[in-house]
Amino acid sequence: MKAVCWMGKEKMQVHDVPDPKILNPRDAIVRITSTCICGSDLHLYDGFIPTMEQGDILGHEFMGDVVEIGPGVNKEKLKIGDRVVVPFTIACGNCQPCKEQLWSCCDNSNPNAWIAEKMMGYSPSGLFGYTHMLGGYSGGQAQYARVPYADVGPIKIPEGIPDEKVVFLSDIFPTGYMGAENCNIRPGDTVAVWGCGPVAQFAIRSCFMLGAGRVIAIDRVRERLELAQAAGAETLNFDQVDILDALHEMTGNRGPDACMDVVGMEASGHGALYAYDRAKQVARIQTDRPIVLRQAIMACKKGGTISIPGVYGGFVDKIPLGAYMNKAITMKTGQTHMMRYMGPLLERVQRGEIDPSFVISHKLPLDKAPEGYRIFRDKQDRCIKIVLKPWEQPLAA
Amino acid sequence: MQRSSASSERGSSQLPFGPKTLVIGAAALIAYGLTRRSKTGTALAAAGGLLAYKAIQVRSTEAKTHAVFLVNASPEQAYRLWRDFKGLSRFMVHLKSVREIDTRRSEWVALGPGQREIRWTAEITEDTANQRIAWRSLPNSDVHTKGSVNFRPDPLGRGTFVSVNVEYGVPGGPVTSGLAALFGTKPEFVVREDVRRFKQLLESGEVPTTRCQTHGPRGIHGHTERVLFREKTNLPDPQAAPAYRKSA
Repeated sequence: MKAVCWMGKEKMQVHDVPDPKILNPRDAIVRITSTCICGSDLHLYDGFIPTMEQGDILGHEFMGDVVEIGPGVNKEKLKIGDRVVVPFTIACGNCQPCKEQLWSCCDNSNPNAWIAEKMMGYSPSGLFGYTHMLGGYSGGQAQYARVPYADVGPIKIPEGIPDEKVVFLSDIFPTGYMGAENCNIRPGDTVAVWGCGPVAQFAIRSCFMLGAGRVIAIDRVRERLELAQAAGAETLNFDQVDILDALHEMTGNRGPDACMDVVGMEASGHGALYAYDRAKQVARIQTDRPIVLRQAIMACKKGGTISIPGVYGGFVDKIPLGAYMNKAITMKTGQTHMMRYMGPLLERVQRGEIDPSFVISHKLPLDKAPEGYRIFRDKQDRCIKIVLKPWEQPLAA
Repeated sequence: MQRSSASSERGSSQLPFGPKTLVIGAAALIAYGLTRRSKTGTALAAAGGLLAYKAIQVRSTEAKTHAVFLVNASPEQAYRLWRDFKGLSRFMVHLKSVREIDTRRSEWVALGPGQREIRWTAEITEDTANQRIAWRSLPNSDVHTKGSVNFRPDPLGRGTFVSVNVEYGVPGGPVTSGLAALFGTKPEFVVREDVRRFKQLLESGEVPTTRCQTHGPRGIHGHTERVLFREKTNLPDPQAAPAYRKSA
């Protein structure tokens, strides 16, 4: 089968690799019909998250048809022929965190838990195609994928709904939604959202679903700001205004009730501090550039909430912990507890409350994935979200 | 879940530094002491000699290991899975097989480097249903080992504490090097990961693995990292369907 392989920093290649097979009793094999490039894949593309191996198959946002199941899969939950969306977190369903619905903290799904324990104390769940520290599972930017614990994660999709409307249940829609839920929104609240990428677009819409009065969206890419405006958000361009000043002005010196960092470890910014972070990250002295997080802590109102759906990989410095402590801020974060949200959000899609396909800017055959990574990273060609079609042949140009 | 582990190599626990530091320190003292050609110098050289002697003593391959996990299962379920010695190789990855000779004795075969088999016969020294199993190797075994596993229900009903203590004592000879390669320099790592796999098998009915999964061309870089990340010790073979056991 064809698969998108990480061959090194900024080096993505499509290779012919053996088809995946069932390795464990609770595995299933899914024939992939749609798969996406996620903003968090760009951290791997740029080589900022450690423990990647040359030859790793990337991709954690995919859906397709079940073509094979292991003998341990609960047949009432999943059978051959089912059309499913696969969540990016892998969870066993039986450990204590899974029982507590903390699916992305599953104890048992990471075969390399010891590496994560060295960096984090305890290991979160395994993820598809996202470093060996988080499991080293081959991902879903391919024609087929092996899905462990297949009776826990994948959600069945009824016929009649196109892939484009449901494929984002695999990650970005639930991730944006959990980001908004973590904001502790009360009716009429003001939420500032840093970043207007695909996850943020869902986060902005979820904030309104949860009763926010105002959403202030921050980015510098014009088409992304426009898309945020279309959802009813006010927008700020950090190339043009000082974000802290602007937020003071817009909230009458109170600050937003909640601040959401949907950017994570590769934030952009201006000035000396940005240059300093950039240099330290390149020199591998720090893994992450926490520019947004610093701003969010400074901007947040007293007693407010900060939600971090943006991905951080390791260590940061110059975090204004004094502001965080003295302003009595609550901070909530985590990889998305996917299985909590997929069902309810699928129902919202079915009821027509939201059509997630609005973020798609590009549909490419799988062979074009390397180019897709490049334009997505460089925000060229008005790129917002790329869906890959594994079985489509590239057109002769 | 909770986990913790610790190990102590016999001897090194009495001294605040490792054997390598000791050897370097001792050599420096002897060299310095001898070049001084004075009473102080002689005393220093003697101290160096004593340190060197200590350093040699430390170099024993005996190890005590300990690991504990709080598992989401009852003591009965945990005991039953562990007491089925034939199935131990499902989570103790270096074991090739365990054959029960009679109710008390069993023959254990581990695989060393180059697929060489390391054998020992173990006898159960204690077996209290749902609470504790203890074992030790019999004379004429390739390895001296003894160990125990305790199953203690959490008083607050949060599962069962599974705590494992294993001691290895290795006689000299070629087996020593084989065993060192087998268990690496960190036996506590091996034991802790074995107990972690026990928890995974008990709770979810299988041990997670990426061995034998499909992937792109690894190249030198990719192969090196596989060794570095110890992915060779992800279970060696696809787990056979008959091995499937209803999860807890």
